[in-house]
Amino acid sequence: MAEHGHSDKFVYHEPGLQHQFSDMMQQEQSVSIGMWAFLAQEIMFFGGLFTAYLVFRSKYPMAFAAGSNRLDAFLGGTNTLVLIVSSLTMALTVYFAQKGNRHLQIIFILLTMLFGAAFLGIKAVEYHNKYVEGIVPVAGWNARAKAPAGAEREEAKPCWQAENLEGDNYVNPKGEFIWADCSLAKLAQDENFLTTAEKAGYFSNGQLDGDKFRDKVRIFFFLYFVMTGLHALHMIVGLVLMTWLLWTAFRGYYNADYYMPVEMSGLYWHFVDIVWIFLFPLLYLLGRHFVHAH
Amino acid sequence: MAKHDPEFEHEHIGIPGYLGVFGLLVIGTIGTYYIATIDLDRVFPGANTLVALLIAFTKMSFVMLFFMHVRWSSRLIWLAVVAAFFWLAIMFSYTMQDYLTRATGVFTQ
Repeated sequence: MAEHGHSDKFVYHEPGLQHQFSDMMQQEQSVSIGMWAFLAQEIMFFGGLFTAYLVFRSKYPMAFAAGSNRLDAFLGGTNTLVLIVSSLTMALTVYFAQKGNRHLQIIFILLTMLFGAAFLGIKAVEYHNKYVEGIVPVAGWNARAKAPAGAEREEAKPCWQAENLEGDNYVNPKGEFIWADCSLAKLAQDENFLTTAEKAGYFSNGQLDGDKFRDKVRIFFFLYFVMTGLHALHMIVGLVLMTWLLWTAFRGYYNADYYMPVEMSGLYWHFVDIVWIFLFPLLYLLGRHFVHAH
Repeated sequence: MAKHDPEFEHEHIGIPGYLGVFGLLVIGTIGTYYIATIDLDRVFPGANTLVALLIAFTKMSFVMLFFMHVRWSSRLIWLAVVAAFFWLAIMFSYTMQDYLTRATGVFTQ
């Protein structure tokens, strides 16, 4: 051990053993617990947003249901399947790394990157649709949105009969969040299942107030963009990680005895998949039965 | 060699196993999509939410146990996983025991 300095860490040890560890098993355990501590931290990181979602959805369930129904559940579901396929290809990447099969390992890293990129592409289409429809919850960002055709006619109606129409007329110069339809609040009022917060939060002088309902829907879209945005950011980081993994796998860094970087990258990728497994039902699906089963 | 400690030499579930887990995840996704359009609230209020979350938890468990190899991991890893969800449960329960017990849910009126 004495003949070499710290920089020659590959001289006497097993290839891949970092000099601060005494053997491969200790290295694997240390790397794993480090990664899981990071993932536990990530769970808390996303957990804050899930808590915000829990609080506001329990207060304003019908506004959240209205927002969920406006999202494209088919695109969201497609993205869920795309991520699940990418999780399978990631699991197989780790499998072939364990087998020391460099060729298949590279192919499955490329497939994982392909499906990860497909997810981000579909997400971008969804974001673009929201922008075009004027339901970005930031004042001023919806100024270019095509406001509903016949919006003047719709304005004359009570909000529970108004529809979120699409059209060409331009009537939103301040770029405000565009939302007219409060029919789900009306449904809950008629069937008597408004929450206490909703009874105060949707009404002015005992009448359903479209503007107050809109502001609660806006909270849903704010959470939608922040939660999916943070998730998309994790996907981008995952793709950078995959690029590095592809390069190192191509250079032949990994073999049947040393593949921990592949396994740890896999843990990160699967974690991001799990976050989406919860985001999909919470954002896209809950409350759909109010519209689709009636 | 420590490397060949039986605890660390494992086959996991192999390709058929991975494909099986994948199949379950796909069925869960398509199932949750269609169940969301059925009015289960007739059974009891909140049934739709409960079913959607149960499916999501099941999917998560399969991903963690098999794709993330927790099934074959050391007890230290199990502890890290359980601790993470335990802290999350603390955050949810203490936040909600505040919000759910407020008189009106809003500050005005």
